[in-house]
This record gives sequence, C-alpha cells and structure tokens, in this order.
Amino acid sequence: MNNYLIKSSHILYIFFVFIMLFGFQSLSVADEGKNIDDQTKELSYLLMCPVCQGQSVGESNSNLAHDMRDIIRKQLEAGRSKEEVLAYFVSSYGESILSSPPPKGINWLLWLLPGVGIILGGIGITLYLFKAQKEDKNEGSQKINTQAKMDNEYMKRIEEELKDSDS
Amino acid sequence: MKVLGNSGKIVVLIIILSLVSLMGYAIFGNRDIVKISPLIGKQAPGFTLKTFDGQELKLSDLKGKTVLLNFWASWCMPCRQEAGALESSWQKYKDKDVVFVGVNVWDDNSNAQKYLSKFGGGYTQGLDPNEEIQVDYGVGGVPETFFIDSSGNVRDKFTGPLTEQIIDHFVLKTKQPQENES
Repeated sequence: MNNYLIKSSHILYIFFVFIMLFGFQSLSVADEGKNIDDQTKELSYLLMCPVCQGQSVGESNSNLAHDMRDIIRKQLEAGRSKEEVLAYFVSSYGESILSSPPPKGINWLLWLLPGVGIILGGIGITLYLFKAQKEDKNEGSQKINTQAKMDNEYMKRIEEELKDSDS
Repeated sequence: MKVLGNSGKIVVLIIILSLVSLMGYAIFGNRDIVKISPLIGKQAPGFTLKTFDGQELKLSDLKGKTVLLNFWASWCMPCRQEAGALESSWQKYKDKDVVFVGVNVWDDNSNAQKYLSKFGGGYTQGLDPNEEIQVDYGVGGVPETFFIDSSGNVRDKFTGPLTEQIIDHFVLKTKQPQENES
C-alpha cells in the first residue's frame, strides 16, 4: 500500500503538465518572416506522400513527392498563401493528402476524442489513487489502534504479575 | 482493494467502447477517401502538353470531344500490358469524337521514345515540361486514366491496366449526358 502514498496534488500537477504539453503541440506557429525554403519545408510536412507508406512529402524521396515539393515552392513564389497551396492539393488528392485532418465536421471527433480519453483516463487514475490512499490511511490507523490495545493489555498483565510477586 | 463494483466496470467498458467506436467512425466512416478522385464531376484541370512530335496540345482545344487521358511511364509494366487495348480502342473511336491522349510522367525522355516506338499507338503522346499535370490530376501511380466529357468535366478515373472492355464501358459512360453528381 505504500506505493500509493504519492501525494494527490503531485498526480494532478503531472496530469496538468501532460494536458498542457498536448495542447501546445497542436498550436500552429506563426509563419511571418519565414523564407520560401522554410515555408516549403513546413508545408511539405503537412502533406502526405500519396504513393508512400506513412511518409510525408517532406520525408519522401519519390518522384511524386519531388514534384509536389517543386509545386509548393512555385506556388509560394507566385504569392499563394499556405491555405491556398494546401487547398490546391486537397482539390487534386482529397483530404486524405493532409497529414492531420482539418478540424471541421466529423473530423472534430478525431481532434476531441483523444483529449476526452486522456481526461477520462486521468480522472479514473486520480480517483483510483485517492481511494487507495484513503484506504491506506484507514488501514494505518486501525493498525495503530490494535497495537495500542495490545500494549495496554500487556502492561496490565505486567503490573498484575508485579503486584502478585510483591505480595 | 475493490475500486469499482460490477455495474461500475460495465459503465467504464461502455464508455471505452463508445470512444473507440466514435474514433473508428471518424476515421473510416463516410469520408472523402472512399471517393476515387475529388476531381470527378468537376472541371478538368487545364494543361498544355508538349507532344513527342514537337507540337503543343491544350485541353481547351479538345472541348466538345470526349477525352481519354492516360498517364504512363516506360518503366511501368502494366502500361505495356494496356498498350494494345489503348491502340485498338483508339482505332475504334478516333472518328467518333473521342480523343486519346497519352501523358508520359516520371520518365527519362530517351526511354519514353524507345517505349513509344515499340508500344506507342497512333494517338497523341506528350509530356508536361513543368511536370505539374500529374499533381493537378492527383495521379498517385501509373497507369491511371481519366475520362473527360465534351463539356470538359472529369467523369471517371481508372487506376490500373485498361482492357478494351473497360475502355468501352468508360467511354460510353462519358459520352452520356452527365447526371447531377455532387
């Protein structure tokens, strides 16, 4: 039971940090001031290579990925925004070309459910540990009471035996 | 230590199963990925090809005709497999307002020329010097074939080697008036 003697506040703190890390990971970084190379690279990692297994356009060495990187660059140089470039690829290959689903319609489930799962899991673990801690405390106080009772009985017996020996 | 009773365990199990089912639905249920191509039913992306006989071919020049747009490469074995069917179908449809266009992609020019002398048909073959047409059409591999109707709309896409029967099916379907597709 001593394994459960982690302070509840520590558990909540770790849980909070965990949630914050996941939250910040999904925030997009402002691309102001980035050059074309950086923007091309960034966009190439937002697109999946259609002919590769689980590789983004940025990671793949296939001919198609090479063509796609060239097109990203050309479109950025022509003054298209990141959203316009992504929309162009979606119009040709569909939404499955995006490395992360856009947060709209049914896709919201994909964004929200992992968070809901983590929160529910965290609540479950916290409740379990609270209950374990409480039970541990009850067990501890019961042990102390029993020990004190036993000590008292022992002391009584010693006193009685001393009295008997004196008399 | 008993944290949950039997009913509690059932509730937790139901919650977990619901979350997993919702996740599965969000990933696989009723999504665009089941569609063959997002271009179907939309205006075909325009292109200008440089043909192997040194001419220029624009899609806009083919308006009013049914277009079979076939993407191929010399290193592609299924492309060789379909070459005969493409040639015989072209012979069959060339006088019926159906234009066959071959687009060579991801290839070496000399290999493409050799391929054409051996397997090339009588129909127009070319390539996009900017190498953009394959991405405009969302091509993922070769052979892939698009069927464009006389109004310039993409009506179908076929992935894999064609046969004469497949070509007949799609060409006749493309020549029919378009139903209201979403």
